[in-house]
Parts: sequence; structure tokens; C-alpha cells
Amino acid sequence: MATQQEIKESLETFTENYNNNDRLKIMNRDWNRVVVVKATDVDSVHTWVLQDGVLKLKEGEADAPDLTVISDSETLADVFYGDITPIEPYNDGTLRIMGSEDDITRLDFICLMIWGE
Amino acid sequence: MKRVVSVSLGSTKRDHKVTVELLGEEFEIARMGTDGDFNRALELLRDLDGKVDAIGLGGIDVYLFVKEKRYAIQDGLKLMDAVKTTPVVDGSGLKNTLEREVVRILAAETGLLKKGAKVLMVSSVDRFGMAEALAEIGCAMTFGDLIFTAGIPYPIMTVEELEEIANKLLPEITKMPFHLVYPTGKKQESQDEAKVQKFAHFYHNAEVIAGDFHLIRRFMPSGMQGQIILTNTTTSDDIEFLKEKGVGTLVTTTPEYGGRSFGTNVMEAALVAILGKQWDQISAQDYLDLLHRLNFRPRVVTLQA
Repeated sequence: MATQQEIKESLETFTENYNNNDRLKIMNRDWNRVVVVKATDVDSVHTWVLQDGVLKLKEGEADAPDLTVISDSETLADVFYGDITPIEPYNDGTLRIMGSEDDITRLDFICLMIWGE
Repeated sequence: MKRVVSVSLGSTKRDHKVTVELLGEEFEIARMGTDGDFNRALELLRDLDGKVDAIGLGGIDVYLFVKEKRYAIQDGLKLMDAVKTTPVVDGSGLKNTLEREVVRILAAETGLLKKGAKVLMVSSVDRFGMAEALAEIGCAMTFGDLIFTAGIPYPIMTVEELEEIANKLLPEITKMPFHLVYPTGKKQESQDEAKVQKFAHFYHNAEVIAGDFHLIRRFMPSGMQGQIILTNTTTSDDIEFLKEKGVGTLVTTTPEYGGRSFGTNVMEAALVAILGKQWDQISAQDYLDLLHRLNFRPRVVTLQA
């Protein structure tokens, strides 16, 4: 099990990697979305706001997110630190993502673009 | 008579059966859709195994080639693994050979592909050979893989960047459920209206639109102005659709049988049946030699006067 602090640090790492990637920011200039990330086994809820290509992280839950990512703390920390990709836990049901199929696919592509850099 | 069947995840509306003669031998070539029903496709494949001479997998790729690297789509492998006896192919072997050859023929013998022509490939990782061949003759390329697969409005302009991004994404994307990255079943009969509007400028700005026909169709806007479509699988209904949109010329890489051009997987299955070898023992040169013996030529259809 990961701690609330570890999840927070993994999300901060992901945010920093995203914002340091100029190509990703160009790719997502048109995609303004709110993404909530929740852990199932520790008290941890964070919200990403992607606006004009720039990603910002804050603690707490947004009212009407476009995407909600839910998993156990260990999986969340592993995914957002880049130790594992989201595809396998998504396929086996460990990681659930609620939102439109198009948004889910795009989020997967963004994650993979970050780790491959 | 030899029997070749293509089992497709696509719509049953495109089912078709023809008898053709290839190198003096009669072939019954059939296409069987499953409307995106993966389990139905598995059943059909198990049922056909051992009863036909070769099987093609349609509506899904199994192998994607990026230069020397090969990536396997997991859902495609599951389908392939259902067949134990009969040779089964996905068209990727033939694509890499035939589509390079088609580009060469179009550039050398027709005025349809010229240096500097603006070409949009809606998806290129499924036909990297065509992408490379078009770039090699000097076309101004826009690779739309991120645009039309992931909805990311980022045109890739060089083969080098395409290769870099493909090698980054494909190891994991190939593990995703296939329907998330490609229209299967009923989705093949409709257009994604939001993306048609959002991405219309990519189509309108191109002189040639190349690639998988289901993707081309799903995102094609109205108001095309005589563009050339370079693809493979089309039916007579598809030709009407292209005419209505304002497309000028249709070029299919596979020949017409009974009013339509079959998918590359079907043609590869037929070639495998002729060659009588296992797929992994067939070289690109085997295909090329056979294509020349069969006098395979791209089909060019003028749609607007």
C-alpha cells in the first residue's frame, strides 16, 4: 500500500513531466479537461485541471470531472511515477477510468507519451 | 477449387463472395463480418480451421511494422491463435510489399502521385511501407495517426517523427482493447460527426488521402474538391459515398472482384493458398514475384467528370 504522500508525489512528478514536455502541451491545447484521481484504500483525492495545454494539480475533488481515475494506492503511485503503464491495470480492472471512450483513449496516449520521452 | 475466407470484425453488411481464377486455378473468396463481436469471430475461425485453404483476418491488424520492428496487437493474436491448422494472415505481409509497389507504379506511370503532392495518411502505423514509399517519392506528408486514432490534433510531418512516436506508443497501445483505437462493427457504418467537423481542414488541405478506408470514411467531411483516395477495401456503396463527398479519383491497391476490392488480408490469404507455404516461410520477394505473375495493378476509378 502506498501512502497519501506517495500518491501526491507521484501526481506531482507526472504533472512536472507533462509540463516540461513542450510537444505534449502543443498536442493538448484544444483539450480542456478536469480529471479526478481517487484511491480506494487510503484517503487521497486529487484533481488535475488541464487548460490550454497546461496541467495543474490540486488536492480535493472537483464537482463535475470529465474523467475519474480510481484504483488502489499502490497502483496509482506506480502508474503516475511511471513504474508501470496504465494499460495492464486498466485491462485487468485494477484501474478504473470513468469518462467518454475518446477521453480515456486520449489520456492513455498522453501517459504513454510522457514515459516514452 | 480453393477456398479463402476472410473473417472480419467489421459489419456483416460488407459480406461478399466471388469466384475468381488466379493462375489457372479457381478460387472461392468470401468475406464474413461479425459486427464487432469478438467471440463470434473466434467461433467462426475455429469452425473454419481445417476446412478452407487460407484464412484472412479483417477489421483488425495483428502485426504492425515500423521499419524492422514488429508489434503484435494482443486482440489480433487471440484471433490468430484460434486457428491451429489452416494458414491465417492479417494482410500485413502483403501490405508492406504491395503498397510500396502501388506507390511506385502510380508515381512512375500515372500523374496521380507527384513530388510535392500534399498527402494525408489517416493512419500510417498499419501501413508503414506505404508511408515510407510516399515520403521517398517526395510527397509532402501529414501522418494523422494521433489525430484520427486518439483525437489529438497533432499532425506528424516526417517519417522520422512518426517512427519515434510509433516506437514510443505501440508497445503499450497494442495491448489496449482494439475497439478503443479503431472503429469496429457498427461504427464502420457511421461517421464521427464531431471529429468530421473538427478535423475537416486536414482533408480539405490534402491532394491525396491515403490509408485504411474505414478510417478515411469515418472522418471524411463534405466539400471535398476532387481529391485522390488511395486505399484498399471499397464496395460500390463506398464509391457512391466518395462521389457524394466530392472525391475525384479512387485508387485501390487490391484488384476489383465482383464490384468491390477486397481487403489486403483476403488477397494475402489467396496468395498464401497459391504459394502453399506457411506464412512465416514466405518472403517479401515471394509476394512480389507472385504479384508480377498475377499482373496485379492498382485499380483507378474516376469519380468526377
